[in-house]
Amino acid sequence: MDKHLDARFERVEKALTTLIDSIAKYNPSEKLADDLITADKDLLTSLRSLEHHQNNAARIEALRQETAALDAQTKDIIGTLWSIRKEVKNTTTTSYPSTGPKYQFTTSDLLSYARRISRNTLPPPGVTNGLDFGASPPPTELPAPDEAGRGSATQTPNASFNGGVGTPGAAPTPSANGEVLASQATVTSQATELPMQLKQVVNPGEGSVFYAWPIEGDVRGGGLAGYQQLFDSGIDPKGYDPEEEERRKKEEEQAKKEAEERARLEREEADRRMREEQARMARERERDRQLEAERRGSVAGGPKPTNQQFSFLGMDDDDDDDE
Amino acid sequence: MEPPAPPGASNEPKYGGYTRFELELELVQAMGNPQYLNHLASRKLLSNPSFIAYLDYLQYWSRPPYIKYLTYPGPALKNLQLLQQEKFRQDIISPDFVQALTVEGMRATVEWHRENQT
Repeated sequence: MDKHLDARFERVEKALTTLIDSIAKYNPSEKLADDLITADKDLLTSLRSLEHHQNNAARIEALRQETAALDAQTKDIIGTLWSIRKEVKNTTTTSYPSTGPKYQFTTSDLLSYARRISRNTLPPPGVTNGLDFGASPPPTELPAPDEAGRGSATQTPNASFNGGVGTPGAAPTPSANGEVLASQATVTSQATELPMQLKQVVNPGEGSVFYAWPIEGDVRGGGLAGYQQLFDSGIDPKGYDPEEEERRKKEEEQAKKEAEERARLEREEADRRMREEQARMARERERDRQLEAERRGSVAGGPKPTNQQFSFLGMDDDDDDDE
Repeated sequence: MEPPAPPGASNEPKYGGYTRFELELELVQAMGNPQYLNHLASRKLLSNPSFIAYLDYLQYWSRPPYIKYLTYPGPALKNLQLLQQEKFRQDIISPDFVQALTVEGMRATVEWHRENQT
């Protein structure tokens, strides 16, 4: 490229010198001037191609740099890969020290256990155990009783829900302007805090507490407490089953009742037989008497048998009269 | 002493109407309650060598097949583990400590699943 350019330059210079010489000799020639112009044009083209050449060279340089950078990156990546691979290999070859015995279980075991214990491990929705998870600072307890104290008239739901907006129509009956303003200020400051009564309605779990362990009542009503009671009352709890005892007692009572019932029935039966016996004897006596009477009647026409019976009742009447 | 057989065996002797399995299950779970531990401590049980040996024995509840019968597994097993330490057995007599344990337990109950959500 340099040679090419040098030749062009030389040509221009030569043409120029020849032209100047010819001018100096006062013999200018048009042909020489034309030569110079052609040489100049040639030079211009050569310079353009030089520019192109240099641009290309610069581009090649840039591309080379890029290639070098990419090569370096590739090398880097391969290096990292290699070290990672080494690391991974090292990790996998590490054997975990067993921290204790391992037990087999199935997913369904796990799930059924989780379902069984969930009621004791997760508080019901809305129960926060008094924790406040909002970003706002913990609400002071003062305003709530204050609002409650103002009576139901001030606690229309509208007033509460619009709270911060402050609807004067739902505000407390204005006994004095100052009081109304003060109360509105309270409501505004507690814009996100519902009054106590509404909290209960919105969240039934409000204020209730959830424990992840058996509460005192559970323990007191349990088998251990029953054991202690037996022990305190002097019974050896070993082999003693209150339910069994209860059942035994009931059975005994039942047996006793049945025995009594049987005895009663027997007594009644005996009574009945006795009564029948007496009635039979009475009937026989009566028959004997009738026979006797008939026998006498046939001899002397004595009183009718019915009178005999009435005479018996008549004796009873006599007794009543005596009393 | 061997751990009692899990439910199913019908010829287990009964104590006040309950099997040893039932009573010990109840005891281990009740020990999840800090106040109950305080009650035990106030009756001088936690310094009784026999009872300490019994606490060690009760650790069979942390293994199958017994562990699956716990319905309050977290506090019960944690406290059972803590009860193996002498310092804990001594500290639990303090009402402040019991209160702190209770508050911490209540807080953890509500927070553990919230952390998972966020």
